Amino acid sequence: MESQTVDLARWQFALTAGGHFLFVSLTIGLATVLAVLQTRATLRGGQPVHLRMVRFWGRLYVINYAVGIITGLVMEFQFGMAWSGLGKFAGDVFGFSLALETVLAFFIESTFLALWMLGWGRFNKWVHLGVLWVVTLTAYMSAYWVLVTNGFLSRPTGYAERADGTLELADTAELLTNPSTLLAFGHILGGSLLTAAVFMAGVSAYHYRKGTADDDGLLRRSLRIGVFTGVPALLVTVAFGGMQFGETEEWQPMKAAVFDDNKAEIAKLQAEMVERFGPGDYVPPEALTRGAGLLMVLVFVVLLVAAVAGVVLASFRRLAVKSRRWHLFLMILVPLPYVAMIAGWVFREAGRQPWVVYGLLRTDDAVSQVSTGRMWLSLIVFVPLFMALVVGHWWVLLRAVREGPREQQHKPAETTEPVPAVTAY
Amino acid sequence: METLATALLGFFFAGYFVLGGADIGLGMLAPYLGRGRDERQHVTSTMAPMFLANEVWLVASVGVFIGAFPELEGDVLSGLLPVFVPLVAGWMVRDAGLWWRVAGGPQAADWLVTGGSWVAAGSWGWVLASLLNDSPTEPISPGLGALTTLFVLLLFLAHGLAFATLRLTGAPLQRALRLTGRARYSFALTSVVIATLAILAGGRLPLSEHAASDTSLKLLVPVSVVVLPLLTAAHLWLWRLVRRGGMQPTSLL
Repeated sequence: MESQTVDLARWQFALTAGGHFLFVSLTIGLATVLAVLQTRATLRGGQPVHLRMVRFWGRLYVINYAVGIITGLVMEFQFGMAWSGLGKFAGDVFGFSLALETVLAFFIESTFLALWMLGWGRFNKWVHLGVLWVVTLTAYMSAYWVLVTNGFLSRPTGYAERADGTLELADTAELLTNPSTLLAFGHILGGSLLTAAVFMAGVSAYHYRKGTADDDGLLRRSLRIGVFTGVPALLVTVAFGGMQFGETEEWQPMKAAVFDDNKAEIAKLQAEMVERFGPGDYVPPEALTRGAGLLMVLVFVVLLVAAVAGVVLASFRRLAVKSRRWHLFLMILVPLPYVAMIAGWVFREAGRQPWVVYGLLRTDDAVSQVSTGRMWLSLIVFVPLFMALVVGHWWVLLRAVREGPREQQHKPAETTEPVPAVTAY
Repeated sequence: METLATALLGFFFAGYFVLGGADIGLGMLAPYLGRGRDERQHVTSTMAPMFLANEVWLVASVGVFIGAFPELEGDVLSGLLPVFVPLVAGWMVRDAGLWWRVAGGPQAADWLVTGGSWVAAGSWGWVLASLLNDSPTEPISPGLGALTTLFVLLLFLAHGLAFATLRLTGAPLQRALRLTGRARYSFALTSVVIATLAILAGGRLPLSEHAASDTSLKLLVPVSVVVLPLLTAAHLWLWRLVRRGGMQPTSLL
């Protein structure tokens, strides 16, 4: 396979998966917050402020959700289009998890999200709440099934080798409880919640600075939820991250050595792997891997300090409402969890190169038998589209942020349409 | 097991053509059916509430394809890459356009919906033409595929039109009826035709020779078959909830 084809396929997948990951992390976290908010609103007999909160954050959630889906679609097709060698080699082991992700998780999630949007004011409130919980739980399930595949790539387990050298599924339980999957799952759920918490705090702070009226305390409550959720979310993230870090030395010693910048160890491992797998370069891109790992840790430290300080500040109502400097600070924090998410992902994925299935299949051997020209075509079409999508999306999302929570309204307008329009709220 | 897996794949794939195909067809016809701002908005709002829920049928098809026939999936998708690239691109553009409209974006996004729908429909025509000509790993030449592609485009249009007569109101409905006449059951008819075509094309693939191992299928197939009634029920619920007249995009939330 021409090396340029591999590079093109890798760039394309990196941009697709990275873009997808950015949106999904906010989606999963916001879904959790939203489910809790609506539960409270339902239990408390539907106080207007609680309902308005669900509606405001729900709107941002839904806008964000769509782009996660669109990028996810492209990713799903890329498995086959650009990386058919991977499916040929190990599709029998992880394919079912991707299939169950679509059938059990994503399918239900999208359907129930549509039901949730259309059900505003039309469903019984408990049914409507139940629908949202289905959306949230299937979002978790979706992340789990994808991480079954990803965990297998990082730490292959539960497989048997066939006569022709390809793999087949041998031990399902082993595969489903792969610690590389479970630890990453906890780490990512925590990180998503953190992303959502910082986002909520930042958006609320923006409206404070803008002087948006807050008669019923929607902003104050949202800001507090953001700040107070941030700390536990951060701790969960770090706990699972730390456990993964501890295991890296065993699972992928080379990655650990690169992170520590331990030249002697790197040379030793390289020699060992040459002996075991034949000649080749078994050192992942050092600067990228180490840089990403360090960046993730750095962001964690900043966020930890900020989160703890935030909890103290938010405990004083006067400060929480009045301090413009603090509000600005909260706004500046919003991109940081995204940076950490992407950096962590680069550390995990770039750090296991040159392997796509660690120790079993090289990335170069996983790429499809596709001409360089065709791979270029794919890259040239998708990259600009992706960029336009991301830019357009942020424009729409920020516009909705700027517009802020809407006033409590309003019966469906029955005069505008001959048949009553389905007015969702 | 292989037979069940094949049936599952066929069900999702045909389901996508019926539901997602209606959306695509309506998107292609949008400039004709809806004239002026309010009418365009009305047509868009007919697609808006359900388009993601319709498209998951394709996502599930590809998922089952990877899970139950991993090697063949790779061969087909990489082989037909020059067709799948415009297909996915058209789809993305369409979805982005619809979504921006839903979220209160500019009216120009309607053109993304229409353009994307045409590209997606044309690409599907080419995919089906390649499959029907037993060329699943290399797109057939435009000369051979043109006729099938044209037929598929017309089928999408007819299906979208039939869907329009079910969902639209006012002047756009009148325009749709002018083309279809007062034919009853036209949506049922086009649904059957489009689903049959999808299954015929998919049926040309050598599926049973390429099924995944039994361990893998025994996990995937029973679970899917058990949840299938649930998925279908949720969809029927949703279908009933969306009534004629659609919903105002800006009032989605």
